[in-house]
Amino acid sequence: MNIELRDIRFNYGKITALDGVDLALGEGACGLLGPNGAGKSTLLRILLGFLRPARGEGRVLGYDIQKEQFSIRRFVGYMPEDECLIPGMDAVTFTSYFGEMSGMPRQEAMKRAHDVLFYVGLGEARYRLLETYSAGMKQRLKLAQALVHDPKLLFLDEPTSNLDPQGRNEILDLIKDISSKKDIQVLISSHILTDIEYTCSFVVILNKGRVAAQGDINALKEIQFSLYEVKTKGENEGFLKTLKDKGCRLEETEDRMMKIYLPANLPRHEIFRAAAEENVQIRYFVKSRTSLEDLFAKTVGVD
Amino acid sequence: MPISEQGYSHWQGTFVERRWPWWPITRLGIRLAFKRKFFKFIFSVALGPAMLFSAGVYVSERLEDFQSMLRGPSRFLEVNPAYFKSYFTNEPMLFMMVIVLVLAGAGLICDDLKYNSLQLYFSRPLRKRDYFFGKMFTLFFFLFLMTLIPGLLFVLLKIIFAGSFKFLAEYPWLPLSVIAFSILITLFFAFYTLLISSLSKNRRYVSILLFLVYVFSDMFFGIFYGIFHNPYFSLLSIRGNILQVGAFFFRVKAPFSVPWIYSFLVLAAFCVVSGLVLKKKIRGVEVIK
Repeated sequence: MNIELRDIRFNYGKITALDGVDLALGEGACGLLGPNGAGKSTLLRILLGFLRPARGEGRVLGYDIQKEQFSIRRFVGYMPEDECLIPGMDAVTFTSYFGEMSGMPRQEAMKRAHDVLFYVGLGEARYRLLETYSAGMKQRLKLAQALVHDPKLLFLDEPTSNLDPQGRNEILDLIKDISSKKDIQVLISSHILTDIEYTCSFVVILNKGRVAAQGDINALKEIQFSLYEVKTKGENEGFLKTLKDKGCRLEETEDRMMKIYLPANLPRHEIFRAAAEENVQIRYFVKSRTSLEDLFAKTVGVD
Repeated sequence: MPISEQGYSHWQGTFVERRWPWWPITRLGIRLAFKRKFFKFIFSVALGPAMLFSAGVYVSERLEDFQSMLRGPSRFLEVNPAYFKSYFTNEPMLFMMVIVLVLAGAGLICDDLKYNSLQLYFSRPLRKRDYFFGKMFTLFFFLFLMTLIPGLLFVLLKIIFAGSFKFLAEYPWLPLSVIAFSILITLFFAFYTLLISSLSKNRRYVSILLFLVYVFSDMFFGIFYGIFHNPYFSLLSIRGNILQVGAFFFRVKAPFSVPWIYSFLVLAAFCVVSGLVLKKKIRGVEVIK
């Protein structure tokens, strides 16, 4: 396991930011999801060794998060959400500089900077001043500086923020390539669920400082609930109330289509039973594929 | 295969443990400063006093040759501790130091705050103290070139031009004074610059503040001294404190009748407070917002 956390608790004064967090992440790409204040940033800070948990223990790449922070930071690449640059530098100098800061010998850092910049698609612009870069180029540059020392683990914080659709797709393709073919584990913290769904096979959902769900995305979607799309004829009120009483979550779409999230323990024929009891005709009934958005909404309890 | 099609490849090298992890930061700071043509010009002008005083050392040994060119008393060309003190604490020299600090030091921390580079620094195996040392030694480089190096060069030139060690035998403590005083004002100005650089994200404001604090501290002293005639107001002035401490280090009469130790304590307290503020302002934990 590249990341192992056991019973992590962290408080900011009287506010508990993380409570009893257990994590075990192996190879591949993992999405870190959660609403604002869920504890994502605190978790990343703990993983990078900036914060010492009040309770619990953990290891990143086999290094203790409380004692071996420097080793962790040496083998981890971090791509921040904010725009980061040093004015007056070009991309090659910038990237090799941070390679050096990670502990690479100067000449090797310079050579590697060229390779990495070509990889992220900045090869032609590598001698341009960073101030002249577009938002998409700056995003790629951040990825390059995170990759320059060939990390074993990559933390990406909102990697597609401020990007146009094409730039977003290109960055996502790069992330997918890195995580699937390059033996680098990627942990992506993002609010854009479709990005996570596109790049990750594993997800951790945090809510109120606790792990609300973690595991393979497809398996989680199956385990948590089943989603059905239903169209009915007749008075819906009683039908909907009965379903709610049985623990279903309901969403009505514009074209009178209903999304019914069935709890794991409730068989689907209960929908038909409720319809029969309330004299409602079911005109359309399809088992729908649940999206990550559905899973997230269900897990953290938001619409 | 062209390099653009090779894709990502793993790095096969090994990481090195640097004895001085701050060195790349210092090197970058120096490099970025020298990238600007205006700075190159200003810095060469700032080395002017050193050239002039070096010439003074030469002339002092060849007074007879230059007698026809000299008007008035030639006492100012006597190379003695007062000569060194006047080099280190003369107004144009201190002013040029502030200008160099404005150009080379204003952006050191302020740009990192503005462009969020701290996140990149501290997500790497870098201690906060290494970051500060890196920034501080950038300033040390420029300030030592204006203080320590010329100071020691004057001593060396004096020995060479005199052809004897008589000067050193007369003032054996002088090289140590040069070293100690250079370190003191360099340390003070480095803290002064880094503190102000960490107070804003706007390099222009920092530059103005660096300049104004220095000028106004002296101006306030002048105003208060003019009104109250109390020399203790010299403790308000950066330049006044440097003059007082310089007088002690070079064993000459202090310009104000205030114990030099007070001025020394003011400068030292400023450095300590700056260190504490910097420690609070730059926090590794802010890397992830």
